[in-house]
Amino acid sequence: MTRRIALSLFLALAMCGAAFADDAAKGLSVRPFQFKHKEADKAAVIIKSLLSSEGTMNIQPATNTLVVTDRAENLKTIAAALAQYDGEPVAIQLSVRLVSAGRVEGAARVPEELKDVAAKLRMLQYNSLENLGSANIDTREGQPGMVELEHGYRADFKIGEYDPVTKSVQVIDFKLSRAQKDQLAEVLKTTLNLRIGVTHILAATRAAGSDRAVMLVMTAKR
Amino acid sequence: MITCELFRSRFTPGTDDVEVLEHLRACENCFAFAAQADADMLFRGIGGGEMIPPGGVDAFVSDVMREVHLRSTEKIASHPKFGWARRLAVAATLAAAVAGTLYYPRQQRVTPVQTTASVQPATSAMTRPVIEKYDSDTATIVEMPTEGAEDVKVVMIFDERLPADL
Repeated sequence: MTRRIALSLFLALAMCGAAFADDAAKGLSVRPFQFKHKEADKAAVIIKSLLSSEGTMNIQPATNTLVVTDRAENLKTIAAALAQYDGEPVAIQLSVRLVSAGRVEGAARVPEELKDVAAKLRMLQYNSLENLGSANIDTREGQPGMVELEHGYRADFKIGEYDPVTKSVQVIDFKLSRAQKDQLAEVLKTTLNLRIGVTHILAATRAAGSDRAVMLVMTAKR
Repeated sequence: MITCELFRSRFTPGTDDVEVLEHLRACENCFAFAAQADADMLFRGIGGGEMIPPGGVDAFVSDVMREVHLRSTEKIASHPKFGWARRLAVAATLAAAVAGTLYYPRQQRVTPVQTTASVQPATSAMTRPVIEKYDSDTATIVEMPTEGAEDVKVVMIFDERLPADL
């Protein structure tokens, strides 16, 4: 009986030992990366393609840390990529114009300040445009922003991360509201990807045949 | 021994007539005749009229139950409480539990994508849409084609939940 118990114990220890020795046998190293400016889960996406076939990673949201297990030479490449990724927040200049659009009979009415986008707006079959206000905001990655426009409109948002691959910046939870009876009523809420230096026109209407639309003309610059 | 005619004339259900019973044991035809009239004749005919065991029914039942208990005890006594197979099974279960506990964190490390499932890979940002998320289930979003990467991007949002007096 004692021999049987000893044999069982040996088998159990052998299984446990094999599990522990696995990483060392493969020549893998473990290294934690804590981020100051970026989020660990997004960093995991960035380095996913850099991991070797044996490489693994573990996200620790509480400390905003990414623990990477991989071959030592591969960890150097990953460390360099993550150091570059976790740089200082990128400064962003955001331009927002709010336009009210309608369909009227007769000659088109386009104010001077909207001439630069008039050709594109005509594509949408609206020939009467009214500028409801504009704002230029100097901000940076991760910063919240708010713009007060005319006619009781207001925009709240948060600047997301600048993506150097696509040269675009994310505008998170952009909420356009309008004052109604001393209260702000939400008009629309969206998350946008704005390419740096490119003008974006968002035209919102109830249906394809509606005579009225509200348009957001937005441009992000570095 | 009495004749068949005499047997059938003297036979009555439940009879203890010695001559009738003697004929019954010897004659198959009369036995069949008697069984039709009284099924108990079968037992009386073979001398089984008295079915009470010696010492009474209670004593007989007690003896049987004592034998059953004795057999059960013998079976338990012949098998040890923890056989080698059971000990091996317990040891294997413990080993599997320990190994599983130690291996589980490794499995978590292997699947980091689970915690980042909602994030699009950076490479897919090349085709990232202008509107990544819009808070309305009923909206239709149409992104107009552009002539180049630097061209003005136009996106139409058709949403019946928008205010009528835009």
